[in-house]
Amino acid sequence: MEDVKADRVIDARGSYCPGPLMELIKAIKEEDVGKVIEVWSSDESSAKDIPEWVKKAGHELIGVFEADGYWRIVVKKTK
Amino acid sequence: MGKLAIVLASGELEKIQAASIIASVASTLGTEVIVFATMDGLMAFKKDVVENKAWKTAGELGKGMIESGAPLFIDTFRQAKEVGNLKMYACGMIMDMLKLKIDDFVDIFDDVVGVSAFLGMVEDAQVLFI
Repeated sequence: MEDVKADRVIDARGSYCPGPLMELIKAIKEEDVGKVIEVWSSDESSAKDIPEWVKKAGHELIGVFEADGYWRIVVKKTK
Repeated sequence: MGKLAIVLASGELEKIQAASIIASVASTLGTEVIVFATMDGLMAFKKDVVENKAWKTAGELGKGMIESGAPLFIDTFRQAKEVGNLKMYACGMIMDMLKLKIDDFVDIFDDVVGVSAFLGMVEDAQVLFI
């Protein structure tokens, strides 16, 4: 799971809540259904909050992986 | 889901910032969000105030937010308008009273409205007064 290949990676490190989430949403809007999008956040609250958003919005959370000083949140657009 | 209306009456950066975050995230989850800026809440959008980052703050936190250089509520609201269902309205009464025009404010408002128009828009909404 951790080495899943994302179709698009968004580096939102250094941005605060809700910056990483808003950048992810923008990418989800632009991409086609089925694409995997990965957002990087150095903001711990975003790492917790983005999965909540994904659940509510009805997309698939592939996983949240802790990297070196940041989190990788991997999401699949399902609709 | 549903409809959320936020009356921004406070000009304090901390409060507007919190409102902008809640409003923006709600607007991306299918909630129709309406923001009505009035009183000091409207003045926080004046071009000169925004350019000079001259917002009122409740205290240390607000000052720290300005110093951190992090994106503040103007950017958050703009992003929400781009990706979500959020509309912003400026209060006409304050503008009449102070002889201000919409051009005196940053370019973020969808329209200038009065209280009756606002009440009409929010009839079936949950309203937060900030």
